[in-house]
Amino acid sequence: MNARKQAMTLTLNDEPVDVLVRPYETLLDTLRETLGLTGPKEGCGTGDCGACTVHLDGKAVASCLVLALQARNRTVRTIEGLSADGILHPLQDAFVRLGVPQCGFCIPGVLMAAAALLAETPKPTEDEIRYGIAGNLCRCTGYTKMITAIAEAAQAVPQGASR
Amino acid sequence: MRRFEMILPGSVKECVQALQQHGAAAKLVAGGTDLLPQLKNHLLKPGVVVDLSGVAPLRQLTADKTGLRIGAAVTARELERDPRLQGPQYRGLAESGALVGSVQVRHLATVGGNICNAAPSADMIPPLLALEAVAVIAGPRGERRVPLRDVITGVRKTVLAPDELLLELAVPDPGPHSGGAYLRHTPRRELDIAVVGVGSQVTLANGVCTKARIALAAVAPTPVHATAAERALEGQALTPQKIEEAATLAVEAARPISDQRGSAEFRRHLVRVLTRRTLTTALARANGAQA
Amino acid sequence: MSSTMKTTRDVRGVGLSIPRPDGPEKVTGRVQYVADITPRGLLHAKLLRSPHAHAKIIKIDTSKAKALPGVRAVLTAGDIPELKHKAPTRAHAVLAIDRVVFAGQPVAAVAADEPAIAEEALDLIEVQYEVLPASIDPLKAMLPGAPGVAELGTKADTSEALAHSAVAMAKSTEAADAKAVNVSQTAHVKRGDVAKGFAESDLVLEHTYKIPMVHQGYLEPHAVLAEWDRSGNLTLWASTQGSFNTRSEVADVLGIEENRIKVIPVECGGGFGGKIRALCEPITALLARATSRPVRYVMTRREELEAGMPAPQVIIRLKTGVKRDGTLMALEADTILDSGAFSGTVLAVSAVFLGSLYRWPAFDIKGSEVLTHKPSVAAYRAPVAPHTIFAIDSHMEHLARELGLDPVEFRRRHLSKPGEPMVNNQPWASNGAHEVLAQIPQHRLWKERAQWKAGSGKNGHGLRGTGFALGGWLGGLQPTGATVKLNPDGTLAVLTGQVDIAGTNIALAQIAASAYGVDIEKVKITTGDTDVAPVTGLSAGSKTIYTVGVAVMQAAQTARAQTLDIASKELEASVQDLEIVDGKVVVKGTDKGVTLASIGKKGNLYMSKVEPVLAASHPAFSQQAPAFCAELARIEVDPDTGELKLHEFVVIQDVGKAINPLAVEGQMQGGSVQSLGIALTEGLLYDDSGRLTNPSLLDYRKLTAADLPDIETIIVEVPSPAGPFGARGVGEPPIVPAPAALANAIHDATGVRLTEVPLTPERIALAIAAKR
Repeated sequence: MNARKQAMTLTLNDEPVDVLVRPYETLLDTLRETLGLTGPKEGCGTGDCGACTVHLDGKAVASCLVLALQARNRTVRTIEGLSADGILHPLQDAFVRLGVPQCGFCIPGVLMAAAALLAETPKPTEDEIRYGIAGNLCRCTGYTKMITAIAEAAQAVPQGASR
Repeated sequence: MRRFEMILPGSVKECVQALQQHGAAAKLVAGGTDLLPQLKNHLLKPGVVVDLSGVAPLRQLTADKTGLRIGAAVTARELERDPRLQGPQYRGLAESGALVGSVQVRHLATVGGNICNAAPSADMIPPLLALEAVAVIAGPRGERRVPLRDVITGVRKTVLAPDELLLELAVPDPGPHSGGAYLRHTPRRELDIAVVGVGSQVTLANGVCTKARIALAAVAPTPVHATAAERALEGQALTPQKIEEAATLAVEAARPISDQRGSAEFRRHLVRVLTRRTLTTALARANGAQA
Repeated sequence: MSSTMKTTRDVRGVGLSIPRPDGPEKVTGRVQYVADITPRGLLHAKLLRSPHAHAKIIKIDTSKAKALPGVRAVLTAGDIPELKHKAPTRAHAVLAIDRVVFAGQPVAAVAADEPAIAEEALDLIEVQYEVLPASIDPLKAMLPGAPGVAELGTKADTSEALAHSAVAMAKSTEAADAKAVNVSQTAHVKRGDVAKGFAESDLVLEHTYKIPMVHQGYLEPHAVLAEWDRSGNLTLWASTQGSFNTRSEVADVLGIEENRIKVIPVECGGGFGGKIRALCEPITALLARATSRPVRYVMTRREELEAGMPAPQVIIRLKTGVKRDGTLMALEADTILDSGAFSGTVLAVSAVFLGSLYRWPAFDIKGSEVLTHKPSVAAYRAPVAPHTIFAIDSHMEHLARELGLDPVEFRRRHLSKPGEPMVNNQPWASNGAHEVLAQIPQHRLWKERAQWKAGSGKNGHGLRGTGFALGGWLGGLQPTGATVKLNPDGTLAVLTGQVDIAGTNIALAQIAASAYGVDIEKVKITTGDTDVAPVTGLSAGSKTIYTVGVAVMQAAQTARAQTLDIASKELEASVQDLEIVDGKVVVKGTDKGVTLASIGKKGNLYMSKVEPVLAASHPAFSQQAPAFCAELARIEVDPDTGELKLHEFVVIQDVGKAINPLAVEGQMQGGSVQSLGIALTEGLLYDDSGRLTNPSLLDYRKLTAADLPDIETIIVEVPSPAGPFGARGVGEPPIVPAPAALANAIHDATGVRLTEVPLTPERIALAIAAKR
């Protein structure tokens, strides 16, 4: 078996990156272990909790289900790339002000799911928000403050924003 | 996961060659939403994984007067959102895509994966069966077309040989005055798996049902065709009584087991309810309602 | 020192809604959890776990695993002489020696260069088992002749019970009866003559209430990183609710001194009681020692579900007798707690809520802890309280309906008041149970319940109903300590050892601010590791603010006194004439003053004769502060599928004093959603051979945002006598009422009374169908 690392390129948080990946590694593994990111997390490894949510070509996906090589030549955005120029994205700002994060483990995934939701549906209803983050389990907050924060942030995100 | 090699074909031909070379030691991956959990749970330990993400034709979805051609790598999200599937005829298919997992899973999960993984609870299969889809399969000996109803032979078993690849689903246009619906029961609103799923398609002419197709998920090792129910409706006006009769016949066609997701008794109960409801909705759609 | 002192004038502190200061780190993904710490030379650990619930280990051959390139160590029990032959607790059962007692029990451990290699090594370990009959169902496990889980004479582990109930009652005793081979603890409380009470009753109602084992459901799986230095000192970076507890347990298991271990509490991605006991730390430490490399072990989600430390399965048979006019006559209860393979449940709390939440003139309450061949339990947010309230509150509701009495008034009439006796004859401490209950009839959902119900079955609607329940938690106690010091620039530094899971640090900082006399922005609070912090208890038991809050408050008050003392000498004024305003100590009514900064500087200056301001506190506590919570639900049930839609949900909770209302709301909302999970969807389901049939988050169902409405919160404040500024613990009460509240709502909507959770669509639909 030749399970040795292979080189691949991807665009990560707006920058081109060359990286060596193992064929049996997931995109989540590569982001965390090789590229040193701490935002995307493993909560279950099987796509059932959303803690690993990143944007792949602009779409929210469970990065624990994507093999690293499947991300070759594609665009990936993680929570580390949600804010630009050091300024918090309106979602991040709303989450901080409204006291949303408790243990914090689900937060990067929720924010990435919410950002993808707002990019597709700029003025979501409460139902759309709830379904937009229904793939993200949170055990600490009961979700209520998240919904409020996302609705508030939706007012502040410019139309046509890519994230 | 255990270690494995990956092959990254750029075309259908390269893919078939890779499968020929490695045979049963190889597994195909598209969205990975079924494969990766199985790898992580050590249910599968392939030496080689063949990635379909670089084979562009598999992601096409075309629609014309003859019907749909759905590439095997079209995602559940695409089925959910594609404007061409929102009309009454194909609506059941869009509904089934919308129910898979969560948004993060739907952006990855493919209709081909749903079929080839052949889990009894697969959501996208009943509407395709109700639409009488045909599977187009590629292999070293060329292409072959197999009605979808003949493709799945058991739990996680299909007629595809180890060196074959599902290319697309050909869905014939069911005609005007046809409506489809898919419903399933799950304990949660999202991130869940069907306890029972029912896909119904009815086609009308002059107020009478000319064709009825009802397919059931998660009530047997393979999808079940409620044939007796279908026959009871064809040639009839679909009154609530007729629909109820069909629902009863659908229950008789089901062979559910009891497991940790639901008892056989509850599953039979649900077959009746969901058959009634999908037929009622499919009828309304066939009659032009956009409900 | 008074603990209900008022806030010092004009400071920003207690009572403000302030977001946690670590918010920006969390929303940018920069906070590090254990799995984010990757030192040079890191090895990855994996454990081989038994597939059998009960088996003898005949032989283990690790030679092939050891030979796999990239594998750095393979350990079995034979490699660890420190292991006690009869593991007294789960933490001591590091690797099975000659017998496994639950499916998922670790049998061997591997450290390798990559997780994939470690997994392949597990495949290469050959274990020969002799499978033995297993006790899985707790009722069967109690029968004579059932396969024994612990050998006769193994001590019951009542440490968990002691950690939770300072209520010295119904002391759990070890079961002496040799026939009851799997009954490890029993308890029995009685008052009056229940037989006579039943005989004189007009209505006798008996139900058996069942709650399955549930997992605490924290998003971050157990994780630990271990590294030894060359002198034999161990450092553990742990996801834990109690660094000091972890240190003690690991020291005991490994047989080394506590001073040789440093536990660094890393940001913890949720615990809720599942991370209060050591689990993965000992084996990871042993792998690190065997390889002389840092080793990290992160449990997979499957391992968490199969081999974590869940909440016990509980079965409560409850029989009550009442008179037609609603007079309570007698209560009889039999509680069975399935503890899994090791003892560790809390029996006593259940008896208190069953027998003395409401005034029963006669009661006879028995409890048994039963061992089974399943993973052993730890705590889960208000251990056994949700189960107990499910039983007693469902029962009270059912009685009220049978008698045609108003459900709120029926409870209110019989609800114990502070000062009245609990089952052990100790008086109920001051609490807000009545005040919380009184909120129910004031709420719109309760007032509108008839109109809501009238909409049932119309316009395509399902069956509509409303229900509530009242529950609570007795409140935990633990001795603790804190230090407060004044920095040279006049800011304050507070040190505790308290792991900040629930956002308690900001509340502690607010307490320090208010008790000392500066704005919250001037206070920094640090959670120290076990080498630097005062010994601190678990971040659990709803006692952090109640105990550490007092410690911080006392230390801040002492620091204030020291500061005023120093200032009084300098200003030649008496302490009573001084106050702290805007960072200055001033003589009241004058503009004569000295800055805090100057006092702070002087205490640090070379050759200075002024002492530094440095205060330490070390309180212990004797008085619990019970905290009550009611939850009110408006629901709609699809009668055909049994699917339940929760339209609205309200949490009403007595918090004593909301130190930080924003944080308190978060606790109420999060805890109540866990309660709803127990009520509606969660349960670890074992087959007859003791294997978990739902070891994934697909089939172990936690509620998603799409399953829930906004959770409305109503804070009630009935100050506790001993809590800081009157505060009570807030973490646990909200997990208690929802199972009963939802069962009551379903009863209201459909007429069916369900006594087994989760209240799944299947149970609801089939019960409705049976009723027709």
